[in-house]
Amino acid sequence: MPARVPRVTKTEAVVLKRRRFGDSDRIVTLLTPARGKLDAIAKGALRPRSKLAGHLEPMTHVEVVLAHGRTLGIVTQAQTIEPFAALRDDLERLSAGLYLLELADRFTVEEAEADAAYVLLLTALLRLLRGDGQQLVVRSFELALLEATGFRPEWQRCAACRAEVAADGLVWSPLAGGLLCERCRESHPESERIDVSVVKVLRLIQDAPYEEAARVRLNQRVAAGMEGVMHDLVRAMAERDLGSARFLAAVRHTRPGNDVGDDSSSEDPASLNGDVTYTPQEPQGASGQTGS
Amino acid sequence: MNESPHGSSAITRLVESFHRLPGIGPKSAQRLAYHVLRAPEEEARALAEALLDVKQRAVLCGACQQISDTDPCAVCDDSRRDHTVICVVEEPLDLVAIERTNGYHGLYHVLHGAISPADGVGPEDLKISELLARLRRNEGDDSDDVTEVIVATNPNLEGEATAMYLARLLEPLGVQVTRLARGLPAGADLEYVDNVTLERALAFRQSVE
Repeated sequence: MPARVPRVTKTEAVVLKRRRFGDSDRIVTLLTPARGKLDAIAKGALRPRSKLAGHLEPMTHVEVVLAHGRTLGIVTQAQTIEPFAALRDDLERLSAGLYLLELADRFTVEEAEADAAYVLLLTALLRLLRGDGQQLVVRSFELALLEATGFRPEWQRCAACRAEVAADGLVWSPLAGGLLCERCRESHPESERIDVSVVKVLRLIQDAPYEEAARVRLNQRVAAGMEGVMHDLVRAMAERDLGSARFLAAVRHTRPGNDVGDDSSSEDPASLNGDVTYTPQEPQGASGQTGS
Repeated sequence: MNESPHGSSAITRLVESFHRLPGIGPKSAQRLAYHVLRAPEEEARALAEALLDVKQRAVLCGACQQISDTDPCAVCDDSRRDHTVICVVEEPLDLVAIERTNGYHGLYHVLHGAISPADGVGPEDLKISELLARLRRNEGDDSDDVTEVIVATNPNLEGEATAMYLARLLEPLGVQVTRLARGLPAGADLEYVDNVTLERALAFRQSVE
């Protein structure tokens, strides 16, 4: 006898985005550990006295109860676990958070398990909340997410033929997904030079523990180089521009000094003792949840 | 066989036109089209004229960017209003909502949206440069110097991003930038209020008069 499909599911989730639906409802896009990305209707969420709306803002870690609708699920209860309120009061961290959300949205698919992406996103948001340097948090998330979704970039060997690459005069291609050897670069006219320091830091962030990568002090040139490379790579893998990457650049342009490097004092290794990594919790009881 | 499902290509065209409107599904579009068909000709003519009128006569006010029949609009042109305060809103309907309160007598600026990178809306897509130009034009004119900009964007992620971005741009211009207060809506149940709203309501609590 086939297993009975439960009529309601309780899950934790990160709210990735939402859109209007009719006069008073919203459709929220949630990233869940077990079911991946899914859309659900939050009925009445546009009404001022909605009991759901405040819990279903993007960039909120939430526990939701979903009833199975004919096409979309319906959010019947929602309770905030972590609102990431401090990120909403700081333009730099907010723009970085928006970029993380858009990346998670682009690199996950509907109704397919996304436990790794879910943990990576929550961990990155918690690191931003703690005040870790944005460059490290964002680069670390990009590299780990690309790896978790099958797009791991190659910074050691030639991404096309796996041959060794010369240590000097390094060349890379976003379409190839990493470095290119002298022979393969001829078939990639879009390839371009890449700073050896940028490659070294990317290798470190990709392969070393987070705390170890955090000990590296980035100068503006390397930070800007890494950001340019990663944005090109992400654009090539996602096959589209990311609006939040443009907003990150616009925000930086308004910042006094206009630097790309980390301005956070938390890059100090001493402050990174005991990294935060999100560990999924066992679902809590239904009491105290917000009814629709 | 008739290619038009409604027996008349005119009705089909009208159904399709209604269907293109936001929030109108195929059934509603049919109901509206048949209502127009059965209505007196004057009613149909008035609807058609109103539709054309809105396209031909509605303009954006060059100062506040609100939709208006005139440029400048009636609000910007009203010398009784306080020209030293500008309230920045996301949409034209937000302006209407604030006007309905009868509690604000300054000027407005309509951004026509909020920063929403996930939807591809960046600062360059909003009427931000028009606001900056308006404030810079104002700098030389002592009588009407804007002293305060009230950022009345929605208290959600996009609204907050827009507000902080605006505050960053306005800071060098030397105007006071304020934000609408956030707290509990009338008739709310504390039990169901989200953490952020409750935290802010506590932080900005007021003495009981």
